[in-house]
Amino acid sequence: MIPSSLVVVLATFAIGVLALTVFVWAWRRGLFNDLDAQARVIFEPDDLRLARRWETPAQRVERENAYGAPVVPRRGEWGGAA
Amino acid sequence: MIRTEATDAILAARGLVPADLEIRLRADASSRLPVLVCYGAAVVWLIIGSLFGELASLKLHWPDLLTRDSWLTFGRIRTAHLNTVNYGWGSLAMIGTSLWLMPRLVHSELRHARMAVVGAVLWNVGLVVGVTGILAGMSDGMEWLEMSRWLADPWLVVGGGMIGFSLFSTVAARRAEHLYVSVWYILSAFLWFPMLFVLGNWPTWTGVESAAVNWLFAHNVLGFWLTAVSVGIAYYFIPKVLGRPIYSYQLSILGFWTFAFFYALNGMHHLVGGPLPTWMITTSIVASVLMFIPVVATAINLHMTVVGRFGALRYSPTLRFVVLGAMGYTAVSLQGSFTALREVNRVTHFTHWTIAHSHVGVYGFVTFIMFGAMYYVIPRLVGHEWPSASLIRWHFGLVLSGIAIYVVALTWAGVAQGLALLDPRLPFEASVIRAHYGLIGRSLGGLLMTTGHFVFAWHVWVMFRGRRVAAARPPFHEARPILYTAPA
Repeated sequence: MIPSSLVVVLATFAIGVLALTVFVWAWRRGLFNDLDAQARVIFEPDDLRLARRWETPAQRVERENAYGAPVVPRRGEWGGAA
Repeated sequence: MIRTEATDAILAARGLVPADLEIRLRADASSRLPVLVCYGAAVVWLIIGSLFGELASLKLHWPDLLTRDSWLTFGRIRTAHLNTVNYGWGSLAMIGTSLWLMPRLVHSELRHARMAVVGAVLWNVGLVVGVTGILAGMSDGMEWLEMSRWLADPWLVVGGGMIGFSLFSTVAARRAEHLYVSVWYILSAFLWFPMLFVLGNWPTWTGVESAAVNWLFAHNVLGFWLTAVSVGIAYYFIPKVLGRPIYSYQLSILGFWTFAFFYALNGMHHLVGGPLPTWMITTSIVASVLMFIPVVATAINLHMTVVGRFGALRYSPTLRFVVLGAMGYTAVSLQGSFTALREVNRVTHFTHWTIAHSHVGVYGFVTFIMFGAMYYVIPRLVGHEWPSASLIRWHFGLVLSGIAIYVVALTWAGVAQGLALLDPRLPFEASVIRAHYGLIGRSLGGLLMTTGHFVFAWHVWVMFRGRRVAAARPPFHEARPILYTAPA
């Protein structure tokens, strides 16, 4: 008689092994190297230069020092007609 | 389409090669049609699903409402609501956003875009067949898997497979050296979901085994599908709008992999007290508590990214929805871990608490993030801005107040119901009476949310209707060519 837990055990084991396999593969392929660069892959240069109205003066200076002179965003740049 | 004479002239005058811009514009253009198809269908299903949900809610405290026609009875309407909002609204909104995000994330064009369009159409055909079947009384009888496994599900499997193929091909052909954490979340969801869907629909399960497989699927479809894609999307939009990288990228990687390793066993906590081996339930409770690790990692990470910049929520509807959605993720996950504990489950099991909890997840978390994503993506698809800030504010206010009333009322009703059920001195009827006002609150909250959905759907319709006109204008980002200069 097959126990009622067998399907769940096998399925979760398969999901776990799959995750472990992908993790090891990614590690060996160097996909966890240079995480700082990974964190910035979503940005284009102009993304970081856009002036953000909500930032404090100190935050604006910090942005300007890091990315250059601010540029004015379009209306709706931040998603929605605000 | 990709570049205008104006942008070329400016860039040529400065001797610049707009490589980044070119890649991004090509990526956006490649995914435009499939995303429009997915978003359009998602909004239609949102309206249909909301009406089903509101009607089902009304029937709980107004039992004589629309009882003459079998297709309008609670058992069918409630099931139709669940399937339309999960596979129609939530899934299609997530698929659309994933199709838009992935080319951007991997700096490549969407591969097999036409296949993705056909896949989305097939997915919708399956949904129409499945939901019509449910209303006609054809249900497979397993929660979250009610659509006919022979008539409806094959359409979803083939359609979803085509969309998944398009996404995986895009990643395989990537130009970006790095894989951002959102790619991990989204790709793994497109791997986990079909596995679970086929497993859950396998026709051989019977009895207790069937219940175990049912909850293995039903809980994991929340985690490995809805949660995975939504968290991935939040990890994109929050840093993108704020213009600062995620607080700790290492923490985001830790969060993803612990999520991937711990989540699979969570579902069995729905069967506490059921005829399953105790070790199995206990293992599930332990796994549920272990979920604290990825949840807290994600919560800290997203919160710390926004901290000091909460003022941005005033200016960005996208951020407003996505940040609240991320808070919903933290709330529903921690609540879920606690609910899995036997002492809590003793009171909350078989009560309205569970419905409140699932709505914090599927609505307060997933739906809010989808709304935020769509507010960002749709203007970039149709090439012009949302026409009314006021409608966005109304939409936000209605859905936020609606879900707040809904969750508070139903959580309270669930606890009152659970305590009454546990009291041997009280008849069963007492548990129904104690939940009565909570159920009215549920309908009120649902009405507000549904009204908000109509506002949103109208706004989306106005955007889509203007598409033909807008196509003659420069696409959204091309209108600011001054930005495409060399970094200082």
